[in-house]
Amino acid sequence: MPGPDGWLLHGWLQRTAETSPDAPAIVEGGRVTSFGELFRQAVSLASALAESGVSKGDRIALVLPKTTDAVVSLFATLFAGAVYVPIHPRWPRERIAATLEDSAARIAIEASDGAPRIRDSGGAAVLSWTEALARPGARPLAASTPADPAFILFTSGSTGRPKGVVVSHRAAGAFVSWSARQFAVRPADRIACPAPLGFDLSTFDIFNMALRGAACVLVPESCVWIPRFLTRFLLEERITCWYSVPSVLILMLQDGGFASHSFPDLRLVLFAGEVFPGPSLARLQAALPRATCANLYGPTETNVVTWYETSKGFDPSRPPPIGKPCPYAEVRMDASTGELLAGGDSLMCGYWGRPEETSRAFAVLEGKRYYRTGDRVAAGAAGNYIFQGRLDRQIKRRGYRIELGEIEAAFARHDAILEVAAVAHEDRECGTVITAFVRSRPGREMSLIEAKAHCAGLLPVYMLPDRVVALSAMPKGSRGKIDYRALALRAAGEDDHGNRD
Amino acid sequence: MEIGTEVRRYIAGNFLAGGQDLALEDSTPLVTGGIVDSIGMIGLVGFIEDRFGIEFLPREVDLHNLDTIERIERLVLDKLSSGASAGRPDRIDRNA
Repeated sequence: MPGPDGWLLHGWLQRTAETSPDAPAIVEGGRVTSFGELFRQAVSLASALAESGVSKGDRIALVLPKTTDAVVSLFATLFAGAVYVPIHPRWPRERIAATLEDSAARIAIEASDGAPRIRDSGGAAVLSWTEALARPGARPLAASTPADPAFILFTSGSTGRPKGVVVSHRAAGAFVSWSARQFAVRPADRIACPAPLGFDLSTFDIFNMALRGAACVLVPESCVWIPRFLTRFLLEERITCWYSVPSVLILMLQDGGFASHSFPDLRLVLFAGEVFPGPSLARLQAALPRATCANLYGPTETNVVTWYETSKGFDPSRPPPIGKPCPYAEVRMDASTGELLAGGDSLMCGYWGRPEETSRAFAVLEGKRYYRTGDRVAAGAAGNYIFQGRLDRQIKRRGYRIELGEIEAAFARHDAILEVAAVAHEDRECGTVITAFVRSRPGREMSLIEAKAHCAGLLPVYMLPDRVVALSAMPKGSRGKIDYRALALRAAGEDDHGNRD
Repeated sequence: MEIGTEVRRYIAGNFLAGGQDLALEDSTPLVTGGIVDSIGMIGLVGFIEDRFGIEFLPREVDLHNLDTIERIERLVLDKLSSGASAGRPDRIDRNA
């Protein structure tokens, strides 16, 4: 295998399609796409994109759920030398429009079935999937280098606008090729990852498929709402490698009958994105005595940079460590703040179109760039890092990272709102609970339905507050700043008064 | 059995901090309107199955069928009248 300087994500697909054209690449229910077909479709769509004027570095927005069509479009974008921008079609229309505009996408591809999700394309030409495939093209394709951007993942931004994390072929490839080696991914593997394409977890299944010739088995959307369907999916699809946030695994353990089955095929379970509570992890491992289980850690800006194999033993009375650095990563701890700094091959190029925020995000030490993760860590036994909390107001809910400031910015756009503060606390049963405290114009108090509907027009569902509490005055500190600590205590205290059963 | 009323009461109690169910209409969008998130849907679907003694099939569980109280009511009535009650083995429908 060529080293990082020879890594091109679509090059992996091309090579595997040459050596194993008939092996299954994507499995989506009854639809199986071989490597040969995936390669042919991707190249044909790539030349159609080139015919439409797409050139190197242009952004192609994929307004598609994680389907075979989306994976073909993703590789087509890379073969065209362009950069894909995954956009979940469930996002509010306004957020889709803002992301298309921000990324200055040249083309946006959306599903052919169902209602169009793109209302305002911000200058992008909108193609339905069937239109995109029908375009003939015979253009030669652009040549990429490993340092070129491959995709842009939009994550929550504290000022109210999502930030685009630009990731190069080399950066994504560093994680994928390490994971392939470390976990011995092979052609017989069937990999499943329920995360959407816009979530960095999806680099694992999509690109290990391309690199190692394993099958990428897409998780049907219907599984997401009924945990027992997920358990059955794992069994019936004979999944061998799984990668998700802990929340999904916990749902299967709690409500999906997971522990009453044995999974003879499942040999690898990876999880990332949030803290896995020790007792639940112990239950998972008891149900999978022969599987390798590992906690992977890293923000979108760096992908995975540390890992810890929990199936080799961990203390179930506390969350597992985030572990030791991956070999491609440079990880160090800021001695005064305890902040984890992460650099190395998997580091992002920067934030799309935001040079100041990009330079603020990095620390340069001894000539090397490190991303300031904002995560506070401690050095534990045997060189394993232990996550201690955040240095700012970013939170995690079900693996999604959320800037509370972005929720506040959404509220502030409602003309009835004078002041707003969002806080989060941990509830033992419900996980992370977000409460928005609002002060409205007199006589303009919002009902919870009104507040949620307003935010749902601006924010993805996972960012919506669970509760909205009206206040006549915000608690303030001595310098007139909102006292978030007092509000968080109040939000946590309200649980005791039984709003939820 | 008042299916819509029971579902409304569950949603009000779990997602609207109780008491605010008056503004929740049969056609109010639940998921796309931001009232119930995806994890909340898991609880709601579980409640409906337990309360009405039905078991959903994968192809029935989608946003179209579950986004409003009236659609949920129609789905539950369909399932009850077709006799698809609990105990029927569910399987992954490949054509879903």
